[in-house]
Parts: sequence; structure tokens; C-alpha cells
Amino acid sequence: MDFNLSEEQEALQEMACDFIRERWPTDHAREALDKRPAVIGEEVWQEILEMGWLGVAAGEDVGGIGGDVLTAAVLSQEAGRGVLPGPFQSSLIATIAVDRSGNEVIRSELVPRLIDGSLRATVAIEEPGGRYGPDAIAAEVRAGADGWRLSGSKLLVPDADAAALLIVGARTPDGLGWVRVRSDAEGVEIRKMERMDAQACSEVVFENARVEGDALLGDERSLREAYDIWTVLLAADLLGSAEASLELTRRYAIERVQFGRPIGTFQAVSHRLADNLVDVEIGRSLLYGACLALDEKRDNAAPLVSAAKAWLSDAAVAAAESALQIHGGVGFTWEYDVHLHMRRSRCNAAILGDADHHRDRVAAYMDESWVPPVKA
Amino acid sequence: MDLSFSEEDEAYRAELRQWLQDNLGGGGENANAMMKAAESGGDGVEDPLAGARAWPRKLHEAGYVGLAWPKEYGGQDASFTQQVICADEMARVRTPPLINTIGLSIIGPTLVQHGSDEQKKRFLPRILRADDLWCQGFSEPEAGSDLASLRCRAEIDGDEFVVNGQKVWTSLATISDWIFMLVRTDPDAPKREGISYLLADMKTPGITVRPLRNAAGGIHFSEVFFDNVRVPRENLVGELNGGWQIARSSLDHERSGLSGVVALEETLGRLWRMASRLDRGDRKAVLEPSTRRALAQHWIEIEGLRHLGFRTLSNQIAGKPPGAGSSVGKLFASEVRSQMTRTALRIEGPLAPIGKRSPHVVDRGRWHAAYFDALAHSIGGGTSEIMRNVIAEKVLELPRPAED
Repeated sequence: MDFNLSEEQEALQEMACDFIRERWPTDHAREALDKRPAVIGEEVWQEILEMGWLGVAAGEDVGGIGGDVLTAAVLSQEAGRGVLPGPFQSSLIATIAVDRSGNEVIRSELVPRLIDGSLRATVAIEEPGGRYGPDAIAAEVRAGADGWRLSGSKLLVPDADAAALLIVGARTPDGLGWVRVRSDAEGVEIRKMERMDAQACSEVVFENARVEGDALLGDERSLREAYDIWTVLLAADLLGSAEASLELTRRYAIERVQFGRPIGTFQAVSHRLADNLVDVEIGRSLLYGACLALDEKRDNAAPLVSAAKAWLSDAAVAAAESALQIHGGVGFTWEYDVHLHMRRSRCNAAILGDADHHRDRVAAYMDESWVPPVKA
Repeated sequence: MDLSFSEEDEAYRAELRQWLQDNLGGGGENANAMMKAAESGGDGVEDPLAGARAWPRKLHEAGYVGLAWPKEYGGQDASFTQQVICADEMARVRTPPLINTIGLSIIGPTLVQHGSDEQKKRFLPRILRADDLWCQGFSEPEAGSDLASLRCRAEIDGDEFVVNGQKVWTSLATISDWIFMLVRTDPDAPKREGISYLLADMKTPGITVRPLRNAAGGIHFSEVFFDNVRVPRENLVGELNGGWQIARSSLDHERSGLSGVVALEETLGRLWRMASRLDRGDRKAVLEPSTRRALAQHWIEIEGLRHLGFRTLSNQIAGKPPGAGSSVGKLFASEVRSQMTRTALRIEGPLAPIGKRSPHVVDRGRWHAAYFDALAHSIGGGTSEIMRNVIAEKVLELPRPAED
């Protein structure tokens, strides 16, 4: 029974935290809000590539370090804590999606290039229409005279403008699956938009766009698995945001003196922060559980992923709102970091399934598969 | 990262499971009913608690209580994982509550850690066999959350303490043989430094028990009055005036909270079934979106508690400090429990007010009882507000407000 991070994971986490704090201080994140979109500067991006972060969960046979989902989650958590923007998250999930696609030929061709950054890719699953996830996919691939053609729309595709390759979830004649489309292919229109935290994303419209290769990159199983992994990485990002908000506020509550005492001695403040701390610790526990269940391919992986995402979506937003409220006036200034974490939390809370969507998924699991320990 | 137990531990589990299968159903489940009968009087029966003692005795003979205690006093020296497995398996088959639970979980471990050799030899075996039942004399009318302000006085007279004062909220006082209490032995010292830990025989002249009826209508706790009660000096646990530290010291038993998770999950299962059977207009309650989301949220909360418990247990096994897990888990578990009972009454909708004597009563009124019970649990054993203070001060390291 050992349900904590390994020494290696702890070391990686510490190293990532230090790196981001040093090379991407929050001032950069703040400036990026004005520069729009927020992207990692080229120099820092090269350093990240050199450290091999994109290959953290990819197989060693294709240039990765063979780590598990939890190891990737640890990096995502630090990205959240340090407000690190694209193309980190999208590149990471693109690499994981291709690595686990099941298509050995494409995998060995593309993953090394994704890891070293020579090929930039992103993942497109969500669509306009107000629903979440693979079940809501309407984009369709049809066989044409000269290969497969993709039609449909995708929304909130991260870093599409900077990607050479789009990995798209679509309906195919054989069910749901993944296809590859070059971003400069005919029939592909990339409409840039901005998130509330200025991270780059796009609406991508496909009109009979040419699909790369004549086979699926991956099938429904690998699509759903990658979506779940992406969801859990986002949950980790939310955990990092929550911890950052809480730590900012904790320090402020100790330093800020009003009415002759640190404001942290007032229970209205300390009890609210205690509740945020409870949220964070429960969230961390759910995140670890979801990662382990994914790695061990347990039956309850899907509801645990949903549990982590639902919980941490709420927790991060609550911690950000506590931060704003407890900081008082200064919390509502551009210079303080409070709004950086607030923006990121608010966005991520609604991406890849908001809390309500994931609660619905858990309810469906309870209906279909859950067996509680009830004596008959 | 690894959630599995060792082969040895799994063998232990299998053995226990088999034992429970063979032994539960031999009067064990009557213990609950007997306990209730005993609390309300006795009725001229010689030992009204005989039935209630039978089950814990059986458990003791098989080695399934006092797991964390040293073997020389009748314990099992069991590992943390075995403690978890034992609690888990017992919860799964819903063994009846143990009449000697206070002895097993509070005073017993305290004596293991702080008692003299004589005290251990005298009391521990009797606790394990449910020969002696114990109650806790801590809270007073003027000393609840602020327990350190307690006033119950114990003055030394020769080789005895003379105790005067009152305790309140003393659970199971009506059926207890012994009481362990915190008393003030030095009124001039700073309040936490003048408290001693004392053991008293409930049959000592001068002790009066007055049962209190709780808001749910039952009798569970009492007031206990001490009028010049003489307690032998050898019943002092630890040092004179060292009682506060003893009461607060961390004890070496499993603290992950995992044993509570099964019970919560089982309650959720019942809740789901209730919602599946209950009509709300033209459909079952379980199909209403708000109900589904509320139940899903409880599933999420319980999984959170479970996995938090795994982290705490892992730290304990590795010999590390338990971390925030213990205090977070305690607070969160009591909140989840309360919320689930609220959810239950919401799901019942217009049937919620119906308590008795109608075919419309939902689940024989269990959710009303559970609701009251849960509310009490966010107060007893440390209020949720105090828990938040503990988290704020110990985990977040926020400064403590100065005491007036």
C-alpha cells in the first residue's frame, strides 16, 4: 500500500516548479494577457523541449521516458500553478494521443518528432452545440475518390494556429476514431479566438478537408482513453491553480494586519481557507486515484476521472474566489496574481466537461455499473 | 504507486471474512437491540447487558479487537494494514456496534500508551472482554469546545483524590462500570497545566448519573455529578497535572478514516435504492437530474475520502507524519454524512415529514434518524468549527488569535 508520489515523481515536480517559477515568472503571464495570445516564449519553449517534458508519458521506444499518466499529471499541475500557457498542454496531449493510438507505424514515425518539437500538433475533440465529449462528436469522415474527407466543426482547439498537424476526433464508417489532418490542407479554416485567460485556441471548420493517410490513426477506444487522459491532465492543472490561489491567500492572511491583528486570525477568513484546503486535499486524492485507475485500466477509471475533474473544477474556482475576496481591494488589481489564477481556473473548469457534465457521467456509472456494499 | 495489500494481508482478510461468515448470525446482530434495552433500564434482568457483551467477547477470543494493542495485554500487535482490513471487513457485513467501544477506542489505547503496568494489567483485559464498560468524563456545562477551562476539582487527601463537580454529554454513563475523566488538580497553574487524568469506579459513593433525553428523543448521554467522591491515588494516569497532554497525545492506531468510508458508501447505496423506488410524479426520483447530480456528488465525495485515506495510511506505514489527511478527513467525513442525510430528505420531498404509522413512511423512517444523528456528529468529538481551527492553525499555519 503506497499511495503517494514516488521519489522520482516528487523530484520531477520540484524541478518543474522551480523551472517554471524561474523561467516563467507570473509577470510573463500577466504581460501575455496584453500581448495576446498567451504563449510560451520561443527560448523557454526550447528549454522545455530539451528537458523532454513532452515525452514524459510516451514510450521509451519512441523517445519518451516511459512514465505513467500520474507523471504527466504532475507536470500539468505545475503548469497550472505557474500559469504556463500553450503550446505546452496541447503538445503534451497530442504526444500522448499519438503514442497510445494503437497505430504502431504512425506512432514510431510521429512521436519522436512530437517530443523534440520538430512537429507541432494539437488535438481537436469538442464541437459547437453545447455538449461535451466524444459522444457529442458530429464531425464526419467519408471515403472519397482520392482518400478520406473530413467535414464538421471543432471548437476551443488549443494552439491550432501554431500546429502543423491536427489530430481530430470524428465519426467514421467504423464508429468513432481519430484522423490526422494537416492544418494547411485545403478545406481547413482556422478561426482564432481567445480564452478569458488569453490562451490561444481556435474554432476549426473542415469542409471536405483531406485526411492524412488512408487509415484511422486510432479507434474509438483510443479516442475515449485520450479524452480521459486529457481530462485528468486538466484536473491536475486545476489542482495547481487551486494550490496557487490558496498559497497566495494564506501568505496574505498572515501579513495583512487590520484591527490590530493579522486577518488570518479572524474565523471568517481562516475557516474559509480551511474549507479551501479540504477541497485541495480531497482533489489531490481524487486526482491520484484517477491517474492510477487509468494506468491500471481499472473498471472505475472513467468515473474517477469525472470525479477528479468535477471536484477540482469547483475547488479551483472556489479557491480563486476566496483569494479575491480575502485580498480585498488589492485582489482586484492587475498587478496582483489573483486574477491570473482566477482566469485560468474559470476557463479550465468549463473545458473538457464542466462539473455538472461530469456529475452526470458519474450518475450514469452509478446506474449501470456501480455495486455498493449493501447487504441484501 | 500501489493500492494492493501484501499476500499475507490478503490471507488475513480471507480468514477474517470466513470467520465473520461463520460467526455473525449467532446473536451478534441482537447486540444492538440489547444495547438499547440496557440503556433504558434493565427490567430486573440480572445482567441486562449479557447479550450485548457476547459479541465483543467472541471477537476478542478470535483476536479481532484490540488489534493495535501489545500482545502481552491481550492485543494483537497488528500492523496498520491489518487494522484497516479488519475494520473494512467488519463494515462490509455491518457488524453490530460494540458495547465496549469507548474502552476499545479511547481509554484502552490511552492506557497502552500512558498507563502504569498495574493499570494495564488490571484494566486492559477487562476492556477487551467487555467485562468493564467505560464512559468518558471530559465535557462540562462550562467546558465544551473550550475543554481546558474545565472545573471539576480533585483535591489530594492522603492517598486519595476527592472529586467534586459535574460532567455532561457522558455517553453510555447509565451502563458504564468505570469513567475516565479530566479533573483540575492545580487551580493556580495556567489552565492546561493544572489538569490530571483520573479513573473512577462508577459504583463509588457520591457519583450520580442523570440521563439526558436528546433532541432525537433517545437516551444516550447523561450528566454525571461528583459529590466528595473518593478515588484512590493509584487511579491517576501518568503524572499529576499532566492530564492535558495525555488526552491530546496522538495514539499509535490507524487513523486513515478508511473504516468510515465503507459505511458511507453503504449509506449511499441505500439512498440510491430509495431514490430508485420512490415515485416523484410520473417518474422515479432517481431519474430527476438534480437528484442524480446530488447522488453523484456524494459518490465523488466518498471516493475522495477513500483515496485521502489511502494517502494517510501510506504515510503511517512509511513511518511519516500523517500529514493533513487526518484532520481533513475527520471534518470532511462528518460534512459528507450530514449532506447525505439532507439529500435523503430532499429526495423524499412531500413524504419527508412523515415519521411513523403510515404506509407512506419511507424506509421505515431511517433517514429521519440518520439526519438527527448526523447533526449530532458534527458537534460531538470535536465540533466542525474546532476542526476548521485546527486545520487553519496546524496545516495552513495561520496565526492563532490571542485569548482574552
